[in-house]
Amino acid sequence: MNIARQICVAHHSSVGRLLHRKFRISSVKYDSTQTSQPQVQEEKFDFEDLNVVERIERRKPKIQPFMKDVFVSIFNRELLAYPEILNKDEMQALDMRVEALDRVFSNPQKTPEERRKALIAAKMFAAPVSITRNGLAMNCTESLRYLEVIASDFELGQEISDHWVGLDALSVGLTQEQYNGIIDDLTSGNNTIALCIKEKVAERISQADFRTTAELDGQGVWRVTGEKICDRKDGYKLVLCAVDGSKIKALLVHPNSSGVTIEGPFTTFMKTPATPIELASDNQLAQILSLSRLHAAVLCRSRLKRAIHSVVEYVRPRAFAGKPLSELSSIRAIIGEALLDIYACESAEYFTAGLLDGYMEPDIELEIAMCRNFMAKHGLSKMMQLLAIPALDKEEECKHLLDDMRHLATRGESLDSINSFIALNGIHHAGKLMADEIKKIRNPLMNPSFIFKKVMANRKQEKDDPKLDLYLAEHLHPSLKQPSEQLEYCVLRMRYACETLMSRHGVEVATAYTELSRLAEAATEILMMTAVLSRASRSYCIGVRNAEMEMKLAACFVEKTKNRVKKLILDIDDGEFLNLDHFKVQFGKKVLDTNSLVVERPTARVFW
Amino acid sequence: MMATKILWNIMKTKSSNIMFKRWESSEKRVAMHDPFVTQPKKNKKTYLEVIKMFEDQDNRRRGHVEFVYAALAKMKEFGVQKDLEVYKALVDVFPKGKFIPQNIFQAEFMHYPKQQQCAVDLLEQMEDNKVIPDTEMEQMLLNIFGNRGIPLRKYWRMMYWMPKFKNLSPWYLPDEMPSDTMMLAKLAIERITSVDPDTKVNVWQTEEIEVSLDKTWIVSAQSEAQKILLSEQPIDEPLVVRGPYDVYLRDQIVTYFLLLGKTRADPKDDRDPDDVSDIEKPPGIPGYIGSTKLPAVKCTVHEQDDGTIVSVCATGTSSRDSLLSWIRLLEKYGNPILSTVPVIFTLTAPPNDLSIQETQPVAQDDASEKTKSNE
Repeated sequence: MNIARQICVAHHSSVGRLLHRKFRISSVKYDSTQTSQPQVQEEKFDFEDLNVVERIERRKPKIQPFMKDVFVSIFNRELLAYPEILNKDEMQALDMRVEALDRVFSNPQKTPEERRKALIAAKMFAAPVSITRNGLAMNCTESLRYLEVIASDFELGQEISDHWVGLDALSVGLTQEQYNGIIDDLTSGNNTIALCIKEKVAERISQADFRTTAELDGQGVWRVTGEKICDRKDGYKLVLCAVDGSKIKALLVHPNSSGVTIEGPFTTFMKTPATPIELASDNQLAQILSLSRLHAAVLCRSRLKRAIHSVVEYVRPRAFAGKPLSELSSIRAIIGEALLDIYACESAEYFTAGLLDGYMEPDIELEIAMCRNFMAKHGLSKMMQLLAIPALDKEEECKHLLDDMRHLATRGESLDSINSFIALNGIHHAGKLMADEIKKIRNPLMNPSFIFKKVMANRKQEKDDPKLDLYLAEHLHPSLKQPSEQLEYCVLRMRYACETLMSRHGVEVATAYTELSRLAEAATEILMMTAVLSRASRSYCIGVRNAEMEMKLAACFVEKTKNRVKKLILDIDDGEFLNLDHFKVQFGKKVLDTNSLVVERPTARVFW
Repeated sequence: MMATKILWNIMKTKSSNIMFKRWESSEKRVAMHDPFVTQPKKNKKTYLEVIKMFEDQDNRRRGHVEFVYAALAKMKEFGVQKDLEVYKALVDVFPKGKFIPQNIFQAEFMHYPKQQQCAVDLLEQMEDNKVIPDTEMEQMLLNIFGNRGIPLRKYWRMMYWMPKFKNLSPWYLPDEMPSDTMMLAKLAIERITSVDPDTKVNVWQTEEIEVSLDKTWIVSAQSEAQKILLSEQPIDEPLVVRGPYDVYLRDQIVTYFLLLGKTRADPKDDRDPDDVSDIEKPPGIPGYIGSTKLPAVKCTVHEQDDGTIVSVCATGTSSRDSLLSWIRLLEKYGNPILSTVPVIFTLTAPPNDLSIQETQPVAQDDASEKTKSNE
């Protein structure tokens, strides 16, 4: 059947793949990774030159960045096989540790000290450190499992997330001697690492956005000066500084260093001596630090889970009109919706972790940011809906949960900045691939024949009905055919959206923030749909408990999300006048300028 | 040259002449003295008294058209030209019922044309003075001229357009303009500086500067951004005080002055706007946004082609001495750089140091006049 299928020329599928398609017989769950790409086996994990037993490197060779390619409607179908990273032994060890932690963390009677002790006992403070240094050499997938359990303690969850990211940065950036010198103190659990990156927004036009600086003094010691948003009192601090004007460098401030003052959520450094993280390049640093985004998503999700539990506990024993309150369909629907979001985010987190652990040199900053973005965007509104159920009876708990969620949703950075990060990276990638085309589109009279061809090629896109030629259904369970086609539709629209944006704004696209945030949201939803579909398909195929529920969740989620993506991309296509951005921006400007609601009261008269 | 002069004379005198003639012609017949002239105090109360007197004099209201024209002409003198109540009192002078047409011929061929024209002129004067009539006035006109009357049509047209125009200006002014020149200057400066909503308007007294000769007030405006732009001015290049410029608040003029500095270089953007092959992307570090450097090019609204406007002011006398005090006061309140940077006064004409000149009609204002007009 597949051989007989008409092969059309799609601009972004390679010849090799087409040939490959010709000789395919069955399309369902065909794992071609192993045949097409040889696995690298038995290679030592070599960030150290120690020849003792170290965790075995099982990662596959590098692949093209997944979500960046989606911006130009290239979809790596191999990834629809949900990643399976851990082997049997690792899984058992992981489960054991998680269980031990869970006993302590799920018991509300335990004090924070006892929890901390449990963390130390389970070597959690040393988890990312290599086995030869008495760590666990934890990979990202494992870290998410641990964090899920630890996250039930709001403070500890955030602390350990920062600590893990900090340890990763140190292991890359410090020299062997420096690293050996402090690693024991760091893994003891007494002093953790806090990330000091975010700064206050500039208050004057003469202030740069990023103001903390580091410079070498006479004795060759780096000194940090500036103010950061960081409320941790003790422990190490990883401070991001500007060096020589425009370069960025991370420096480690040791506990009890001079010149550190803490005021509320702000920490001020005044010529504080610090150890530079010399060896890490900007790129490496960005990759490592961006992991904190993934952790933030997990933390958010755990708060939402907590809220669901709280609501269930509230609803179960209560009654309404002589029947159990839980029979009210509106309450059930709200909880169901929250479950959809949790399911989607969980799938995407482990999917991303799988990409990170499964391939060499992963380029997954976008995927990580998207997980964070999704949870921050939907988490808060879902939380509000959930908490509206017991709102009056459980005032204190609701306030607490909501505030925690708000704190996490804006932890480290705002939704806007993540959105613009996602969109700009995507557009950057798309721009590289589509530069020639865009140049011609923007100069139509110089390239009449091209424009004519373009109009012909785009006519299905203009009608919002792209030709589905990615055949994603072949890589999923057959009963997910319809959702997979919806995903396919969304993926195929992305290139058109990027093309529209870039041909409309040219280089200025980098400042079209309202449109970019739409693009970012659409891409985020696509990652979620992909992860959800591949997870559900995997679960159903291997017979995981409640897999049929997962299939329904997946189908529901994709159905719901497809409409959102469709709307977002149609809005991009419409432009600022039809999607009303132009007017909203003007209204906003008026209000910002006058700090009033501009309009007169409805009772105002001009004459009598 | 001569022709324009003649034309000007005609234009200037025409309208009043006509009115005057009407008054004159009727004077011969009615032979009444002008009650407005004999009033010792000219205000709203006495004006309304005169109208009342006329109404009581003769219940047949003989000569009311002439009276209304005379009253309209005297309005400015009594300072009531913007008062709706007065106009309504005047409309009330017309006898009710008599002018309402009784058949279609009367309605079609302008019943009582002189009276109708008089009422229309009254409404016209209201419109010129931007007084919006109210619905009670509609009732009065209806009772006088009926719903086919020309004054009614004029009224309806006015009620269509005038409310639409009333609040069209983006800069709000109170219905009654303040009589105090300083408040007026403050309004004017607030209007000018609305380009940057962060601008703070201060009122200072020159007494604070001991050596000042003119003891007057200064309304000075400067935003934080302007302060910073001023503090970054090169020390060896002089700043310039430019002015006087006029700004109109309805029919009143306020003169103001600018303090100008050098403008930074224009931003140079030689990117190809069509080349999207390398769009700038942010670094992936969460929480690290923006840049470590600031643009060293023209990028604020204060930086115009002829210079950077670092402050704006209006003073009570507009004299050179008060402007000097302004510079010193600016220096005192947060602009220490002014003690080192030279300031040049390039006023288009030498300001005369008389404090406040007599009010003069707008048309006669020339560039040399430094007056903050009161009227």
